[in-house]
Amino acid sequence: MEYILKNGIVYDPANEIKGEKKDVCFKDGKIVEDVSAAAKEIDVTDKIVMPAGVDTHAHVAGPKLVLGRLYRPEDSRRGVTQKTKNERGESGFSIPSCPTTGYRYSRMGYGTVCEAAMPPLEAKHTHEEICIIPNIDINPLTLFGNNWFILEMARENKIDEMAAFISAWLKITKGYGVKIVNPCGSEAWGWGMNVHGYDDKPPYFDVTSREVVRALAKANEKLGLPHSIHIHPNDLGHPGNTNTTIETLDSLKDIVKSNSKAASVRDQIVHCTHMQFHSYTGTNWRDAGSGAEEVAKFLNHNKHVTGDIGQVTLDETTTMTADAPMEYDLYQLSGLKWVNADIECETAAGIIPCIYSPKTPVSTLQWAIGLELFLLTKDPWQINLTTDHPNAGPFTRYPRIISWLMSAPKRISMIENGEVHNWAEKRTSLATLDREYDFYDIATITRASNARVHGFTDRGNLSVGSNADIAVYDLEPNNFDPSKDPEAVEKAFSRAKYTIKDGQIMVQDGEIVSTKPSQVLWTNVKGIEDQEKAVLDQVMPFFTQYYSVKWENYKVHDHFLSNPIRVDVEMEGK
Amino acid sequence: MKTITFDVKKRNQIALEMDEVIPDKIYSWEAEDFDKYAVPVGNSRFPITDFFDITVEGTADSPAEVKMIFNGDCGRVKYIGNKMSAGEIIVNGDADLHVGAEMSGGAITVHGNCEAHAGREMTGGTLEIFGNTKEFTGASYIGEWRGMRGGKITVHGNAGKQCGECLVGGHIHVKGDCDILAGIHMRKGLIEIDGNVNRWPGGQMKNGNIIIRGRLGRLLEGFVEEEIVTNPVINGIEFDGTFIKYKGDIALKGKGHLYIDAEKNRDKLSAWEDEDDEYISLGDNRLR
Amino acid sequence: MSYEPPITDYDEIVENCTCAFCGCNCDDLDYLVKDGHVVAVRHACRLGASKIMEDMDQRLIVPMVRGANGELEEVDWDTALDTAAEYIAKSVRPVFYGWSETSTECMKEGIELGEYIGAVLDNQATICHGPSLQAVQNAGYPIQTLGEVKNRADMIVYSGSNAMNSHPRHMGRYSVFPRGYFRQRGRFDRTVVTMDPKFSDTAKMSDKWIGFEQNGDYGFYNAIRAVLKGKKLTQNVVSGIPAEDIYELVEEMKNAEFGVLFFGLGLTHTLSKQRNIDIAIKMVMDLNRFSKWGLTPMRGHFNVNGFNIFMAYETGFAFGVDFSRGYTRYMLGETNTIDLLVRKEPDCFLVIAADPGAHFPNGANQHLADIPVIQIDIHWGPSTELADVVLPGSFIGVECAGTSYRMDGVPIYMKKAIDKPETCRDDEWIVRELKERVMKLREEPNVAPKYVPNPAAE
Repeated sequence: MEYILKNGIVYDPANEIKGEKKDVCFKDGKIVEDVSAAAKEIDVTDKIVMPAGVDTHAHVAGPKLVLGRLYRPEDSRRGVTQKTKNERGESGFSIPSCPTTGYRYSRMGYGTVCEAAMPPLEAKHTHEEICIIPNIDINPLTLFGNNWFILEMARENKIDEMAAFISAWLKITKGYGVKIVNPCGSEAWGWGMNVHGYDDKPPYFDVTSREVVRALAKANEKLGLPHSIHIHPNDLGHPGNTNTTIETLDSLKDIVKSNSKAASVRDQIVHCTHMQFHSYTGTNWRDAGSGAEEVAKFLNHNKHVTGDIGQVTLDETTTMTADAPMEYDLYQLSGLKWVNADIECETAAGIIPCIYSPKTPVSTLQWAIGLELFLLTKDPWQINLTTDHPNAGPFTRYPRIISWLMSAPKRISMIENGEVHNWAEKRTSLATLDREYDFYDIATITRASNARVHGFTDRGNLSVGSNADIAVYDLEPNNFDPSKDPEAVEKAFSRAKYTIKDGQIMVQDGEIVSTKPSQVLWTNVKGIEDQEKAVLDQVMPFFTQYYSVKWENYKVHDHFLSNPIRVDVEMEGK
Repeated sequence: MKTITFDVKKRNQIALEMDEVIPDKIYSWEAEDFDKYAVPVGNSRFPITDFFDITVEGTADSPAEVKMIFNGDCGRVKYIGNKMSAGEIIVNGDADLHVGAEMSGGAITVHGNCEAHAGREMTGGTLEIFGNTKEFTGASYIGEWRGMRGGKITVHGNAGKQCGECLVGGHIHVKGDCDILAGIHMRKGLIEIDGNVNRWPGGQMKNGNIIIRGRLGRLLEGFVEEEIVTNPVINGIEFDGTFIKYKGDIALKGKGHLYIDAEKNRDKLSAWEDEDDEYISLGDNRLR
Repeated sequence: MSYEPPITDYDEIVENCTCAFCGCNCDDLDYLVKDGHVVAVRHACRLGASKIMEDMDQRLIVPMVRGANGELEEVDWDTALDTAAEYIAKSVRPVFYGWSETSTECMKEGIELGEYIGAVLDNQATICHGPSLQAVQNAGYPIQTLGEVKNRADMIVYSGSNAMNSHPRHMGRYSVFPRGYFRQRGRFDRTVVTMDPKFSDTAKMSDKWIGFEQNGDYGFYNAIRAVLKGKKLTQNVVSGIPAEDIYELVEEMKNAEFGVLFFGLGLTHTLSKQRNIDIAIKMVMDLNRFSKWGLTPMRGHFNVNGFNIFMAYETGFAFGVDFSRGYTRYMLGETNTIDLLVRKEPDCFLVIAADPGAHFPNGANQHLADIPVIQIDIHWGPSTELADVVLPGSFIGVECAGTSYRMDGVPIYMKKAIDKPETCRDDEWIVRELKERVMKLREEPNVAPKYVPNPAAE
């Protein structure tokens, strides 16, 4: 089937197209140069056309999501809708059910989402959920930062072995890349403790967070994976953690990026996630302040780093992270129902409902720091828009964040009218920042940069040959001032005029018109099979003794993958 | 003023769901509108006139001017007055689950017994029940830590287990007995019980007040005796009599207060030997 | 127990099979297969082994429909499926109950049928660990995988659970006896406490038995919490336990490096039901101030947790999900099987991989006798006597592959070892067939003409 999108105003940062009026053609799921006269014409005259959105970091599928849904029926109840001909019933606000997740991303014009934390032991569960989520492709990142094998290899600085291990585990879990969460901290949580700072060690393991992160970064570059290491540094959510964040990122400066074809797409060697939660100054919440300036300055001077924000949206949401000790700290503060889920030899997770109220100083400070980071970082290619869904807010609030970014008057009025607590003004520079994003910048931080960070070439752009993942929004950028009408921006980005995924029209005028099964992207490194076998032989006695499942039942069977997209990686020098 | 009378024709075995028939939605309806309306029953809908003879008298311009009267056994009619904000509902007979759930205003009177979840998550208005209620009277939705926030529930009979669970405001007055764990997890508000309570009122309460005029079976260890008070004034209401005042639930660093009648619970003042371990039977309420 | 010589006469061994009995989901079983039957099972406990080996005992082989004379009559698959589909299509308040002994793959078909027709989907949690789930929804859920327990735990508490009899390999494989990474001496490195009014077999092999009185659970845990907050107990005996024993126990629990509380139906089904679990969870949270503690419900069926997980990711609610109005609902006392049956609401009951005839209270079964009951199962049971249509399924983990979730949420792909009897069908196939037939018989009810966004969510 051939289609032509006529006369849209195209924003395609990957090809440096800044709002040109042009047609976009696609055929059989791919973008093409031209189509025949028989092509179906879709008139989008003067409307915004962008590649479909790519979410750099969200939690949408997996064991901790399910625990969240299981124990928060009151949240599920908040989003219940009746089934229609095209849609099953929805449920949930901050932790929507699987079908709901797909529908809501589609409605916002998104096409690809990164599931940011997949514990290897329960990877099958993550994949089962991915199969249920419709309309979006998902690339899950496997958790490595507290894996006992990794801790041991990092202690002995065995980078080659570690690379083989990562490669093997990505195949076993069908993962896309390397995720590190509070390195060494979640292991310390096995004893109810945490690590403090970058050079601390967990009990019984003679290795520091610094050693683990550096080793993983080296191994990642050795393999030449499409995505860099994806790190959630230590000390999340603690006032004064700016130093840890910068120290962590700075320690990776000297690592040489791989020359492999897959790795050449991206610019960074480390992606730091939800930076807002890692940019606090002070010593406690009473004297806490914004470290955004420092972190943004670091980003502006260091091109080896990219980050996403984790913008607080001032809603009642659910926080969930593999950083379990931090969740316990939050539980101590709020006293609300706490979930903890430790996973043997690998990781841990914590969940807690969280109310970010604009009336409270801390939530407001977090909100302002996130926006500061957006506005102080000069190069939009270095930062991505996320809410770390559902931690700082549900992903359905992206349009609202876009409206804040595009309208300085809106931000100022929120501060001046007392819609938010006065800490926003007293403790951050937000009120003084008058930078406004334009649609090109928005396309960069929600699509183009995100795709590049993850090493995608077939999405996040409108180049000929790429997947026909396209979003059209009902705004006419040439006769519209987003700064003056943020509500219209939010509305338009919430309900795409068209969302097209692989050439199929999923959404029309904000309504789901069709669905398709999701696909999972995973990385297959070639040319390292012998080393993988050697490392498996080496870890097997330990595995047999200390895991509670058999090796045969550990891996993700093909049964759990529906139509996967395998990303083959040729190791450098092979 | 508009009076809508629903005379029950027959009791349907599968419950009718009346969440769409509340003053807020039907104040402008005439008899013919009811003739056209089909009420949800299970996975289907049936004409409401199959179950009720409906008469409409008078006119109304707002929900507040509506009075709905149910005559007959509504033991299989759920969600009466669910989410209503104004108007009046009178049920002359029993009512099923969720009477007055999430209501924010108006008044409901039930001259019979109610099933569970009566007045769940109310934020305002009054709910008066002349019979007994079952579990979770004035409680929260499962998982929600913010239950009833305002309004008043009066139960003239007995209340079931976990009455006023997660209460964060409002006033629940039970004139009969209360089953176990009244006011569990409560954070604010007032529960007044004229009858007996068998076990553990106020488990894990953070704040708020519970008053028991009858006899209390067992008290939790999380409650610490503070003093003996006479004619205490709580939330602006004066209560006659002498009460033992406890603070709890200590297990949760709670600052709630539990008052129990000193005369009837004299054993609570002495050592454990005199403690009556008997599980006070609530007869009717439990076996109904 | 007499000595039985090892089986030597077999054709092949199928290794690493998963046991389809309790929530332990032991995945290290070896089946010895001869002539298409499992003749011996290695590593399994007696419960698991006998279920697997005696798979043909009282086996339902052919579909049956209850005839005019009230007897079950053997029929062909088409007739049986058509009859069942007709019952479902005609029903106003259908309930689909069971699912805990089948695979999540089968549940997928089930939920499609349920959503289509507007049924209530519920599983055995409603009669076993439902109170635990409700408590989790009120209080939270600090859990850990069983391997964590094996490697780290030095204090194990069983409360209201007799693991020795109900989950025989639980102690041997996961909790008490195995040599873990930080517990190299196995049993000697761990303290085991059993809290149970009964001096059970588990209590016999524990280091400590806390025999609190029946229905005293809530008061007992509340006292522990009060002591943890530093309060001196006012009563000399709480729930039948002397105060000094409580102080001692609390001290021990505080000093454990890594403690785990396993709780069973003894805790969920006494007087204060979910509140027992609620306060036990809160106690575990309090203990985390002093050391590391977690808990795990001792789930019964091998995939009862799987259904809750499955429903949670499909619909956002764990069990007792009502689709009747075209949207999802979950409400205690309203959308749970027992409440519905006792209120005599359902007019069609599909039971898959469960035995309500044996497990439900009398009042509920009385209503089942009055309405059409469709049974999908592998064995004859009391429910068969109540059933109007019997559809013989296959044995997950032996005759058919499928996914299940262990009590701690670890997913396991259970593989197929032997072929099913020729006349039986896979559960998944049966439910899919029913779905397709129902779709032909009745137009989908309660479909909204247009998507209406929920204001709270958009």
